[in-house]
Amino acid sequence: MLALDHVGKTYPNGVRALHDVSLEVEPGEIAVIIGGSGCGKSTLLRLVCGLDQPTQGAVVLDDATITEPQEKIGIVFQEPRLLPWLSIADNVGFGLAHRRAAERNQRVATALDRVGLSDKARMWPRELSGGQSQRAAIARALITRPEVMLLDEPFSALDAFTRIDLQDHLLNLWADAKPTLVVVTHDVDEAIVLADRVIVMSPRPGRVFAEVETDLPRPRDRQSAAFDFAKRRVMAALDRSLDRAITTDDRETRATAGAALWW
Amino acid sequence: MDARDKRGHDGGGPCAARPGAASTYVAFRAFAMSSADVTISAERPAVPAEREQAQVQRDPLERFGWLFLGLVLPLLLALLLEAAVQLGLSNGRLVPPPSVIFQTFVDLARAGELQRHVLVTTGRVSAGFAIGVIAGTLAGAITGYSALIRRMLDPTLQALRAIPSIAWVPLFVLWFGIFESSKITLIAVGVFFPVYLGVMGAILSVDRKLVEVGRVFRLSAAAMVWRILLPAVLPSYVIALRSGLGLGWMFVVAAELLGASEGLGYLLIDGQQLGKPAEIVAAIVAFAIIGKLSDWIIVITTAPFLRWEDAFAAKR
Repeated sequence: MLALDHVGKTYPNGVRALHDVSLEVEPGEIAVIIGGSGCGKSTLLRLVCGLDQPTQGAVVLDDATITEPQEKIGIVFQEPRLLPWLSIADNVGFGLAHRRAAERNQRVATALDRVGLSDKARMWPRELSGGQSQRAAIARALITRPEVMLLDEPFSALDAFTRIDLQDHLLNLWADAKPTLVVVTHDVDEAIVLADRVIVMSPRPGRVFAEVETDLPRPRDRQSAAFDFAKRRVMAALDRSLDRAITTDDRETRATAGAALWW
Repeated sequence: MDARDKRGHDGGGPCAARPGAASTYVAFRAFAMSSADVTISAERPAVPAEREQAQVQRDPLERFGWLFLGLVLPLLLALLLEAAVQLGLSNGRLVPPPSVIFQTFVDLARAGELQRHVLVTTGRVSAGFAIGVIAGTLAGAITGYSALIRRMLDPTLQALRAIPSIAWVPLFVLWFGIFESSKITLIAVGVFFPVYLGVMGAILSVDRKLVEVGRVFRLSAAAMVWRILLPAVLPSYVIALRSGLGLGWMFVVAAELLGASEGLGYLLIDGQQLGKPAEIVAAIVAFAIIGKLSDWIIVITTAPFLRWEDAFAAKR
């Protein structure tokens, strides 16, 4: 189980990115973090991944404190970040370098087949489209069979159609081994499609504002009334999270803050 | 998305639950996916054929076309010089025309002298280049990776770099004698600095995002350098190698001018002392040709490792 225990992050220049964030994510759960800009969502993900360390509190996975990247935790960034000098197959197999070649090739072939990139195995990253590159990045993270997968706005750089396709694709891949997923997004539709639980954060300083259980069956129907209802609950929470921010800290955002500015 | 994706979606697609209300969405998605499929299936057979065609077109015509374009200017200048001497506009003694230079080459080759000097000089440059590249790459990689070592080592190395090459000659002669070691050391010193600077600078500019990928996969320091930093700097490294090689040729002249009994640099001095300008120019031309050839060798051998580049020059 992944637990954040009163985690806070203050940067050396004094900016308080996160304040007293406590969270527990059950194994196999999909938690989606959403919130206004400056609410520390990406910072939070980097702390969970081990790329940065919290200044207060701790991130704990299965009773072990996380201060460095672990084998059990995989991450997919907003950009695919494929290594340009390696073919797609070599990129996907990057985390398996210590395995024997035969096993690695076999797992890479399976992973590429799973994300639909088998015919692109020998190509260079520069020859792939954005959606294809991101699928390769997801394959690269999943191939090591992590317990926890972090995704930092993974589809925000893609067009709407590709985004919808990749959301379904991700759920498909998740269904294989059911790792714990923690996804950061600014797209409310995406949050409701993916999440078992939506965590709404408010900014300045970043903290958890509300948690919304989606209570929807899988496969998610984007057109159903229940979907709309869940979406409205999340958007209402987002609205309130920004109103809260106005009364406690900032005068300048008071006037027109609301659903339109939540991203 | 290809056909395999579609199969994967069947169990999990959002459209499966409510055919009635979702029909518009389903129809739209079906349309979007089918047109995507059409585009992809139309694209897939075309791409390999396109690549093949481009390759075939590129090989015979373009390659030799570029080569000939490169030769136009020197040939033109040579012809103009020859014409000037033939027409009596220049007396051809201090600036020998191409015909005389060519004759000098032939004479030297017949006596076996040309081969001997070329081999000696090339051997010195090769040895010095090898040592300088290895030392420069190691030093550059270490100072690029470790901030502490960089702060301690770099200021000293930069100060050493500022010393003019010729100034080293007397010291090396005293330390290593007048034979090969002092010359090779001088060349190695000359090659070291561009390679060191190039590797260090390039490692410091590697995209942080790629370094984070390495951190996420928990690469050791050595693995980080070998699997991410060095491949990332390969394009800049090749440029550093080429400039190092250029300096190597320059330093070999300095070494041979100041005390050698063999080599192309020795030919320069020999031509000057015996009043044979043709020999001097022949040696200079030999430098130009061999220098260009060695640079070309670097480009050709490293080109396959740079095919992945997504740069301005990627299309040659």
